[in-house]
Amino acid sequence: MSASTHMSSRLAGWLPRLVVAPSLLIVIVTVYLFILWTGVISVTSSKFVPTYDFVGLDQYVRLWATPRWHTAVANLFIFSVLFLALSTGLGLLLAILLDQNIRVEGALRAIYLYPMALSFIVTGTAWKWIMNPGLGIQKVVTDLGWTTFRFDWITDPQMAIYTVVVAGVWQSSGFAMAIFLAGLRGIDNSVIKAAQIEGASLPLIYRQIIIPMLRPAMLSVIVLLSYIAIKSFDLVLALTNGGPGTATELPSTFMFSATFRRNQMGVGAASAMMMLMTVAAIIIPYLYSELREQKNG
Amino acid sequence: MSKFIATALAATMLMPIAARAEGQIEVLHHWVSQSEVEALNVIRKALEAKGFQWKDSAVGGMSGANAQQALRARLTAGDPPGAMQFLGWEGVQWAEQGVVRDLNDLAQAGGWREALAPQLLPFVTSGEAFIAAPINMHRQNWVWANKKIFDDAGIAVPKTWAELIETGKKLKEKGVVPVAMGDEPWQIGIIFDALLSDLNGPEFYQKTAVDLDPEALGSPEMVKVFDTLREIRGLVDDNFVGRDWAVATGMVINGEAAMQFMGDWAKGEFLAKGLKPNQDFYCFATPGKVTSFQYLIDSFGMFTVKDETVQQAQVALAETIMDPQVQKDFNRIKGSIPARNDVSVDDFDDCAKLGFQERATAIEKGSMQGAMTHGFAAKPEFASVFSDVAAQFFVGKMSSEDAVKMLVSGIDNAR
Repeated sequence: MSASTHMSSRLAGWLPRLVVAPSLLIVIVTVYLFILWTGVISVTSSKFVPTYDFVGLDQYVRLWATPRWHTAVANLFIFSVLFLALSTGLGLLLAILLDQNIRVEGALRAIYLYPMALSFIVTGTAWKWIMNPGLGIQKVVTDLGWTTFRFDWITDPQMAIYTVVVAGVWQSSGFAMAIFLAGLRGIDNSVIKAAQIEGASLPLIYRQIIIPMLRPAMLSVIVLLSYIAIKSFDLVLALTNGGPGTATELPSTFMFSATFRRNQMGVGAASAMMMLMTVAAIIIPYLYSELREQKNG
Repeated sequence: MSKFIATALAATMLMPIAARAEGQIEVLHHWVSQSEVEALNVIRKALEAKGFQWKDSAVGGMSGANAQQALRARLTAGDPPGAMQFLGWEGVQWAEQGVVRDLNDLAQAGGWREALAPQLLPFVTSGEAFIAAPINMHRQNWVWANKKIFDDAGIAVPKTWAELIETGKKLKEKGVVPVAMGDEPWQIGIIFDALLSDLNGPEFYQKTAVDLDPEALGSPEMVKVFDTLREIRGLVDDNFVGRDWAVATGMVINGEAAMQFMGDWAKGEFLAKGLKPNQDFYCFATPGKVTSFQYLIDSFGMFTVKDETVQQAQVALAETIMDPQVQKDFNRIKGSIPARNDVSVDDFDDCAKLGFQERATAIEKGSMQGAMTHGFAAKPEFASVFSDVAAQFFVGKMSSEDAVKMLVSGIDNAR
């Protein structure tokens, strides 16, 4: 009897490790091993197929001397900052407005959330037509009589990246709204009541009390949206296909074409390592602070 | 029991061999559109007549880049397909890796070298080895024009780029879009390739697009190419962003636009609408002092495999592809012309006949050259610099001088 309980307790101790082991192994191989391999490739002269020689940081030098890469990095910066700020801001605003005990809230919520159900390919294609000056908004407005109206960002290399922001925000702000709305519902009404009794105005209550209380929701929104921002390869592909010319290139589209279409596997690997370092520069301080807080708390 | 398992194991192990015994060959390619599949059926049927089955392995998308990825994975796993469609330098690069079968015996017995233009050989041979069987040839530098628009405006087929631009300006005043195109770098690249040779001669094309000679790349002639490209931008409407090439062809067909610069795959769009060359639409080469013929070919290469039946099937497939009758039937459907020079094209359409004829003169005059935008001149890492610069220049406000500087430094950086 005691032996069998001993066995089962030992099994209970081992079971989690056994269950986790295969997935851990898969993660180690498919993620970390390939990161390592990409790192190795980035210091070789690999072009069409991998070659294992050592050329130091040549590929990185070559990468940073490529104008297209500069465009890609600048675009990623513009896109992620604006996309994060606008989606979060709009999402919060929509959530606060929806939280005013209005009628048909359920229907409105569904409408705002619906774009999230679409794939980026659909969003990109639809917005490509909406923003095409000869088919979409510009044509409708000029046909209505305002003949000097211009909305041709998508044809302008300087402005085209902002059309990607518009489409991305359209798709994701409803999602941010849903998370904020859930956060708002979790706030105790008595806090607001107490503030009202103290004579605080509604904007002040929101600014000083409610929004700070939404910090956990804000954190999840930012983490989820940054992940969407970095992987937004398909949106660019569908909306502008990197164009006009190469104006809306992102690091991810750059890496793909360098590695698989342009015989520059080494440069592609170097660009992948640059992306990894960028992500690490953001994630590691975040993880560090989170872990430290847990230890202190 | 254990005997049963052993038999079952043996049976399952034997099964694939049994299936291969009837002679099956897997062919990896990226042809998925209707006319492409119908054209492939010509090869498939001829192969079946020789007693071998074609196992289709189509990976579409990204102009063949997806199929290339599939191939890399298969080669790494040690399980290459029997045959693969090659574009540009792909075949030669795989041959340098030592994974492609040498078809030299077949080539010698079949007289392939004599049947092909010498300009093709760099793409189908590697050293002494013959590594791929070319099935067709497309020409990249065609102009497709709406005949009614030309007739109504009383204009003739332009003989120089200056004339073409003048014609375009006239048409623009009449409210017609002179040039239909999209902003994709390869669509811009088609015009750029043509200008290199048409404005400065085939030698200039050789020096820049093939030899990457720094002096020629930075020369005043190159500035002229960009200047002319800028004038062409003035003939394109502002809605060109994100426009597919076939949509642009549709604009010429509908009479919205007068001309399109596009390879002869555009012809299929006209023919599908029941339109006839020289009656409803014009096809003519981009105008130059020496008429250039910028080609691209599709070829099939065979990988080194151990299985003997597959090896036999590879021989049968290569012979099928090089069969003059197969090349004729295939190309009538695909819209291209046979890769072989010795196939009669009398029953082809007028555009194909014109192309066939101009190819013969171009071979003599040295103006038959590989189309850089489709990977038949400089290696991809250099060709992509040309297309990047041309595309950025075309959609933006860069000066021709800056574009030339960017080109020279870009090529240096890729070396």
